[in-house]
Order: sequence, then structure tokens, then C-alpha cells
Amino acid sequence: MVLALLQGVSELFPISSLGHTILIPAALQWKNIDRSNPSFLAFVVVLHIGTALALVVFYRKEWAAIVRALFASIVRGKTSDDRDERIGWRLVIGTIPVGILGVIFEVPVRKLFGSPAPAALFLMANGLLMFLGEFLRRRQHASGAAYKPIEALGYPASVAIGFAQSFALLPGISRSGISMVAGLLCDLDHENAARYSFLLATPVILAAGLLEIPKLFAPGAHLVLIQAILGGIAAGIAAYLSVAFLTRYFRSNDLRPFGWYCVVVGAIFFLLARKGVIT
Amino acid sequence: MRVIAIFLAIVLFVLGILYGLGKVNAFTESGAQHPHHVTHMVVLWALALLCVIWARFQSAPRR
Repeated sequence: MVLALLQGVSELFPISSLGHTILIPAALQWKNIDRSNPSFLAFVVVLHIGTALALVVFYRKEWAAIVRALFASIVRGKTSDDRDERIGWRLVIGTIPVGILGVIFEVPVRKLFGSPAPAALFLMANGLLMFLGEFLRRRQHASGAAYKPIEALGYPASVAIGFAQSFALLPGISRSGISMVAGLLCDLDHENAARYSFLLATPVILAAGLLEIPKLFAPGAHLVLIQAILGGIAAGIAAYLSVAFLTRYFRSNDLRPFGWYCVVVGAIFFLLARKGVIT
Repeated sequence: MRVIAIFLAIVLFVLGILYGLGKVNAFTESGAQHPHHVTHMVVLWALALLCVIWARFQSAPRR
């Protein structure tokens, strides 16, 4: 249940869920977690699906309008200036980089960096990236340059944000954090950068969960099915509350508090890993 | 552009089938029956579908 709540919250807060699911079990000495065990994999799949469904439910009206507009555009055979359609195509284009890079690099990256020390280092880097993003955003808008709405993003900017999202394959780098930083650098304000980041994350998290569904039927996976379903519901509720909080938070606040959190927590975990306290 | 889009769609679709059958193993974790082959197949088919949509946009009458 702790792991489910952790996943639900950290998937959407810009603090890296992957990093936390490596660091927290290591810190709490949960020796019984075997990441290659079919029952654990099935558990993680359900947590991802729960998180993605929470995002779909939260943005249900927006998704319904976007999907309708995209289908209308495909049937028509041309694009228009419709707001939902423009956002929809930007989400489609932005999802391509992480789709391609994800299938190519997910396994080698997990093998290379799936231990506490690299995860802690990347968590620190994640914090520093958020500070850098805030600094560059302030400099960009120092002269009073206006922010853009999401639908005004160009296609190259959508690809750039989608490409940035791919760095979240590294444990410790947050999907929402890095795509928000990229969004800020593409002239979105915090509220729109967060909204675009959550919309962009939804198909990726959902697809990652759905593609792993066969693992639910692996021998041994049924042993934790009830726990997995309860965990999925807990992760979904935590994710829903997180996105509700964050969309309010980013109306008037920035990424720096999360930057401090990542730098401090990353540094502590890195020191613990170097001293061999966590492995 | 339409021809390129259709050609790419076919290539990606066929490549997806080859991954699904385990005939292509590039960028996959291990043996032919590994679920990562299915992931690669689905991603390649999704890209093929996008190419078909791209071709569709190229063939619509222009104003």
C-alpha cells in the first residue's frame, strides 16, 4: 500500500516515481522486493494503470474534446484552427519521441542505472534542471514577453517537449518535471506547462501499463492480484489528489520547492549509497 | 509525400509483424518469446498508423 501511494503521488509530482521506487525500498530495507518477480511486475502494472486512469478521469472533458477533434480532423483529411484539435495533434507528435526512445532504451537504461546511487545522482540532476529551467524562464520573460497557450505551441516545440520527456527513462529524472521545464522554455506558463505535461504523460503511462498486461497472467502473478487491485485503486486516488493539488499549485507557484526537495533528498541518498548504508 | 508516407507505413507494419514473430531481435531484452517483442510490435504498428494518417492528410483536396 505504501508503494502504491508512493507511485500515485511521485508519478505526477516532479520528483521522479521511478527514482523513488528504487530509493525508498532500498532505504527501508525491503529485501523481499524482487523486481523480476512476476507478482511484483503484475503489481507495478496495476499501479501504472490506476495512475493513468486517474489522469484520464481528471481530464475527462478535455480528453473527450481532444479525441473528438482528432477523429474529425482525420475524417476531414486536414487540420483546422480548432483549439482541441491543435492540442490533440501536439500531444500525438509529442508522444512519438518517448514511444520510440522508450522501446529502444528502457531495458538497457534500467540495467545500467537501476540502483540507488545513480538514481540519487539523477534525482539531484532533476532538481538542478528545475532550477535551471526557472532561471532561463525568468530571463526569457524579463522583458515582459507574453506566455503562449498550449494550442499556440509549434510542432518543433511539441517534439522538443516530447523528447525532453524521454529523459524520464533515467531513474531520478521526473517525467512531469522535465516536460514542465521544456514547456516553460517553450513559453508556456506554469499552469499550462503542468497541464500539457499531464496530458502528454497520460497516453505514455496508460500504454506502458496496457502493454504490460500480459504480465498479469504470468505464472505466480495471481498470488498478488487482490493486493495489486487494491494498490491500483490507492495509486489512482493518490494520483487524482496529486494532479488536483498540482494544477492549483502551479497557478501561482513554480518548480523551485521541488527542485530543493530533489537536490537535498538526492544528496542524502547518494551519500547513504556511497557509504553502503543502502544498496 | 503521400507515397513516402504509405511506403513508411508498410515498412513499419511489416517490421512490426517480424518483431511479433520474433524474427527481429534488435533492441529487445532476450529470446523470441519475450514480451518486449510485443511492445515493439505495438509501437511499430502505432507509428505505421500515424503514417497512414499522414498519407490521408496529403491526399485531401486542397482549397
